Amino acid sequence: MVERRLIVLVVALALWSAAVIEKLASLQLVHHEEYARKARAHQEVVRPIPASRGTIYDRNGQPLAMSLPTQSVTVNPTKLPDLGVAAELLEQVLHMRGSGLYDKLKQACDKGRGYFIVKRQITPEEAENVRALPVDWIDVENTSQRHYPKKIAAHVLGGVDFAEKGNAGIEKGLEELLHGEAGQEMLLTDVKRRGIASWQSTEPKPGTALTLTIDERLQFVAERELAAQVVAKGATSGSAVVMNPSTGDILVLASYPTFDPNEPPQSDDDPARENHATGIAFEPGSVFKVITLSAALETTKLTPASLIDCGNGILNLPGGRVVHEAEAHGGYGILSMADVLKHSSNIGAIRIGTVVGKQNMYDYVRRFGFSQYTGIPIPGESHGSLRPLIRWSANSLASISMGAEVSVTTLQLAQAISVVANGGLLVKPRLVLKRGGQTVPLQPPVRVIQPETAFTMRKLMEAVVMPGGTGYPEARLEGYSAAGKTGTAQIFDTTAKRYTHNYNGSFAGMTPLTNPSIVVVVTLNGTHGDLGYGGRAAAPVFHAIASEALRIMEVPRDLPDDAPKTLVAAQKTPRDDEVALAALGEGPNILQDAVDDARSAPRPNEVAVLGPTVPNFKGMTMRDVLAEAASRGLTVLPDGSGTARIQDPPPGSILRQGERIRVRFAR
Amino acid sequence: MATLPAFLRWMEATRPEASVKQAQPRAMRDPYRLRALPQDNVFFYCKKIDNSRLVREPDPQAKSACWSAIGVASLAVAILAGVLVPGAASTISGYRLESLRAEERRLVDERRSLDLQEAELLSPERLDKLAHNQNLVTPKSNQVFHLDGGQSDTAAVAMVKK
Repeated sequence: MVERRLIVLVVALALWSAAVIEKLASLQLVHHEEYARKARAHQEVVRPIPASRGTIYDRNGQPLAMSLPTQSVTVNPTKLPDLGVAAELLEQVLHMRGSGLYDKLKQACDKGRGYFIVKRQITPEEAENVRALPVDWIDVENTSQRHYPKKIAAHVLGGVDFAEKGNAGIEKGLEELLHGEAGQEMLLTDVKRRGIASWQSTEPKPGTALTLTIDERLQFVAERELAAQVVAKGATSGSAVVMNPSTGDILVLASYPTFDPNEPPQSDDDPARENHATGIAFEPGSVFKVITLSAALETTKLTPASLIDCGNGILNLPGGRVVHEAEAHGGYGILSMADVLKHSSNIGAIRIGTVVGKQNMYDYVRRFGFSQYTGIPIPGESHGSLRPLIRWSANSLASISMGAEVSVTTLQLAQAISVVANGGLLVKPRLVLKRGGQTVPLQPPVRVIQPETAFTMRKLMEAVVMPGGTGYPEARLEGYSAAGKTGTAQIFDTTAKRYTHNYNGSFAGMTPLTNPSIVVVVTLNGTHGDLGYGGRAAAPVFHAIASEALRIMEVPRDLPDDAPKTLVAAQKTPRDDEVALAALGEGPNILQDAVDDARSAPRPNEVAVLGPTVPNFKGMTMRDVLAEAASRGLTVLPDGSGTARIQDPPPGSILRQGERIRVRFAR
Repeated sequence: MATLPAFLRWMEATRPEASVKQAQPRAMRDPYRLRALPQDNVFFYCKKIDNSRLVREPDPQAKSACWSAIGVASLAVAILAGVLVPGAASTISGYRLESLRAEERRLVDERRSLDLQEAELLSPERLDKLAHNQNLVTPKSNQVFHLDGGQSDTAAVAMVKK
């Protein structure tokens, strides 16, 4: 009896064990993949690894654009149990009262959309509230938001759309570099969805950080001054570019009107989003005479002293067209080529351009980089316009010689003026200084004009900011030599087919003259009246920007200037080495400074900061004067022969740094 | 072994008044009281056994077996621990690691947020407004002296001394 029972028990245990083993084998071997997959579905979570968009810095490492992680609330409208309840619930939790969420949800539901973003960039508190809701049809997504903390250089930076994809400016131009690719990681979780272990399935690729050549301090000053001047002159828009002529680095690229890049665009054709510095070409006017004269110095026998017949302000062109200069600049008779630039004589420029010839003029306009893209990575750049040579009319050469019938951008002007500033090399503008820590190499410059020509042009352009020049006194800088060219171009009314009395007032300049550190080009569009000319409208902006730039860049002064009173009081007798330094300094234009110096000569009760006392040369021979001056380390400019009769500055006055003594001799 | 009714009755019998109660007529007895089982006194008999003189005989084999059992058990525990502890430690470390990763992400985000705040605070526009509020003006070029050991710093040094 007992044995039978034992046998039954053993058999039962054996069957039970077999059943267990069979089940185990089924779970572990036969259906292993299936159950493993189900287990993974429960335990493993695919989590995105955010890859932030590349930060954009200015040249000093200040962030101009950066992305921050944020969260958005999304729903699947087709799976909402009740649209009304859902809308009310979401409006309450997300503080969206009166936002018309119900209508939007219904619209999305009617269209069959399976994805609807209820609210972007929610606060952490709102995210917490949404997660606490006992519903499964609301999702909180981790996203990223672009910020522009400085709110400057909007046209350079551009902006991004809702998906953080660049839609303008460098954000669009270098989208491939800037945008990051999010990775994925598998997260093993417990029953409470706490992470136990994780491993990357796809590695994230963060966007490349960019360092621009822009200087935020200068950019701010330029935008401020430009905006103030546009408003003050009643202009419609304006632009300014500051460029390092040696490297091509763009320190400032400002355009007005501007916008806040943090705000989404209101419309596709928002005028504030037009980049006037690179995207809109205009007739440059007299600024273009720099190109005309450069070509003349290169290709003809004309020199700065060559005399040009300006026809007393009237010039008859082929086809019966008559150029009247009297209205704008006054009628000039015969001017030297230097004075043609100084007084901005249109007829003089036409005469010079005629000597240059069509082919040479066309070649040099092209060689200076006009009618070509500069290659700056900002979308929508205009290459300007210049007719092909075969389409030039009989008057095209005359028009182009004085800056008409050709259109350029402010950036192209800066590039061209840099040729003169750096000794004759065309340097491509550079906007990106570093890409992910690696410096972007400079493009090899191209020789456009000879260094001698560039130097001569600098001297000619210096006269423009001297007394009598069209840029005086607005473009004159305290303590620094400067050179430039004004430009005032009448705006052509395409509707009325005639030129209006609204102007594009421009000023293109460089400073300091001996070794220019910066080239500044300012253009105001739509100015009017006498105060709308380039010298009156744009030159003051050049003055403000250049002064600030020189101070920020710590460029040593190359001209004497008036010292503040506190320093005057502390000044003692100048040392000998200071005297020598004053003599060695690069002086301003001597002939022009004679007038200026007389005007700004120290008054009897004024004491200059630095410089020796001017000796009395009256009655001395030229040899004695030169010996005396050499012994004191002074520079004398003798004029005439015989004994010294007149000297300027007068005896006893304090000679400012870099100032020279002009002595006239007579028998 | 005595039943519960027998035990209760025995308890009552030990009391002095029990005899008095037994003298009462049958009709006065508690009707709910359980009746005694037969042979209650036999089952309830307790035999006293004195084991004080009983001494356990030493058994060296048992001691050895005991130590062996302890050793085997310890080994089993050690093996079990060796097998299970790494997994448990790995799991605990995983929790800790994920917690630290989350903390790292949070700190990175916080740092970026602080970077943004710093950039906003250092924006030229804000600094310009602050400067204007404090009546600070941008120095002119002739008010700037570069103290680089050159000649032009004499006046600045004099100003500082003053």
